[in-house]
Amino acid sequence: MEQRASGWRIMLNTAVALILLFLLAPSLITIAISFGGSDQITFPPKEFSLVLFRRFFTEEGWLSSTWLSFSIAIPSALLALLLGVPAAYALTRGKFPGRRLLGLFLLSPIMVPHVAIGLALYIYFNEIGLSHGQLRLIVAQSIATLPFVIVTASAGLRNIDPALERAATVMGASRLTVLRRVTLPLLLPSIVTAGLFAFLIAFDEIVISWFVARAGETTLPIKMFSSIQFDFSSILAAISTMLTALSVIICIVVASLQKEKSSA
Amino acid sequence: MIRNLARTYFREALYAIPAVLFMAFLFAMPLLGVLSQSLQRNSGGGPSLEAWTKVFTTPLFLKVAIATLEISIGATLCSLLLAYPVAYFLAKQPPRRRVLYMILVLIPFWTSSLVKSFSLMVLLGHSGIINELLATVGIGPVKMLFNRFGVMVGMSHYLIPFMVFPILTSLQNQPPELGRAAAIMGAGKLRIFTRVTFPLSLPGVMAGALLVFVLSLGFYIIPALLGGRKDMMFANLVDFYTREVLNWPVASAVAVLLALAAAAAATLLSKVQSGSSIYSEEAR
Repeated sequence: MEQRASGWRIMLNTAVALILLFLLAPSLITIAISFGGSDQITFPPKEFSLVLFRRFFTEEGWLSSTWLSFSIAIPSALLALLLGVPAAYALTRGKFPGRRLLGLFLLSPIMVPHVAIGLALYIYFNEIGLSHGQLRLIVAQSIATLPFVIVTASAGLRNIDPALERAATVMGASRLTVLRRVTLPLLLPSIVTAGLFAFLIAFDEIVISWFVARAGETTLPIKMFSSIQFDFSSILAAISTMLTALSVIICIVVASLQKEKSSA
Repeated sequence: MIRNLARTYFREALYAIPAVLFMAFLFAMPLLGVLSQSLQRNSGGGPSLEAWTKVFTTPLFLKVAIATLEISIGATLCSLLLAYPVAYFLAKQPPRRRVLYMILVLIPFWTSSLVKSFSLMVLLGHSGIINELLATVGIGPVKMLFNRFGVMVGMSHYLIPFMVFPILTSLQNQPPELGRAAAIMGAGKLRIFTRVTFPLSLPGVMAGALLVFVLSLGFYIIPALLGGRKDMMFANLVDFYTREVLNWPVASAVAVLLALAAAAAATLLSKVQSGSSIYSEEAR
């Protein structure tokens, strides 16, 4: 009986190790290749060099696409915060009827396939004559990220002890003061978390951008998408390494924010 | 008096107004626009059912619909099969170690889908790493890219983390006393799993499967990059009609169908989730 149980456990652990390997190995191999340096994609790399990274910074188009992506992801994350945090406040602190329905509406972009959103915005922007390339992308990405901001901020608000807000009110603070001096400071870690994730989603998003972007407005994901299809440039390995690093850094920052909150 | 009542009730609601306006004008309106576009004649002028009849009579649409369903169901089953052991393993870990292992699932979750597709192409390609390894033992090359296999690998890779989290939640919500009680009454490990743990995790499995199924219906990047011609899915068809055929009404009709399918699955999902939350409250 004991024997069988431990055999069972070994099997489970092996299976889990293999599945995690499947999840992580592709990215790890790409990271290794990115430091390999040759123009050919080879694994294991035969030498260590930063040539692919250098090519990313010098070759036509890559850097400008990266800046474009930053200049879209940052404003759209800020816009999503500006709209989403107050909405989360309304959804968690309000007692008005129709709250559930409102929440469902505001979160619905999560469930609608991005192709449908992309096509919808493409047709709509053409109709209303919104031709400013960057603005189109900023608005589009804010729609995609808003639900994540609302979910994160709502979870943060629910974790704030209402007694703290009540205590401030009892001691004579006005509603606005409570919001400004108690609720918002306590919510700050969640707001930062929501903003970082919104930024990451907007930075990596491709399907909506693919429809909404005008010719010449090539974001980094769009440039990667066409490069994978047409020339399979080995620079892609270097970009993958940098994007993975960005995701890992953001995950670590968020995890440490979470820890601070729970220890506070 | 009534004004005061309205004020206390709706004071908080005011904070949602900017988001609601934004979503109404830039999300709901455009989606309705797609619906109305699908009812237009492509050559312009007048409403018609031209696009819808075209959708339901073209053999291409039927082919794509079948491929989409096959791929989505297959990818859902594959990711379920691979995610369940991971969720079960995570649920058994002490909290500190669980956080550590969780990172291994979260990193792929937050990795860009383009990075994943590129990495998988490097791995699975004609002269890719796996084929090179196979060649050293005298096999191959095996075609693993630009076909159904490539799409399945890519989609499962993408979807596993989405499946792990709901299953993990439902496993963690199970009171540990249940397993202990079964053990005291003489049930072996396997029996505890098949009779207690697994049945009680079914709401999580259902929630995860529905979520993953909805996500797979709308996939665009992975079939476009890892699949072949026969692996075109709905999203690729929308793109095809928008860019190549330049028939917006048909593209819109397909997008409407896609959105409706997603909405139906989302409704089911909310039913499953409210069911599982009742269970977890009972359990506590």
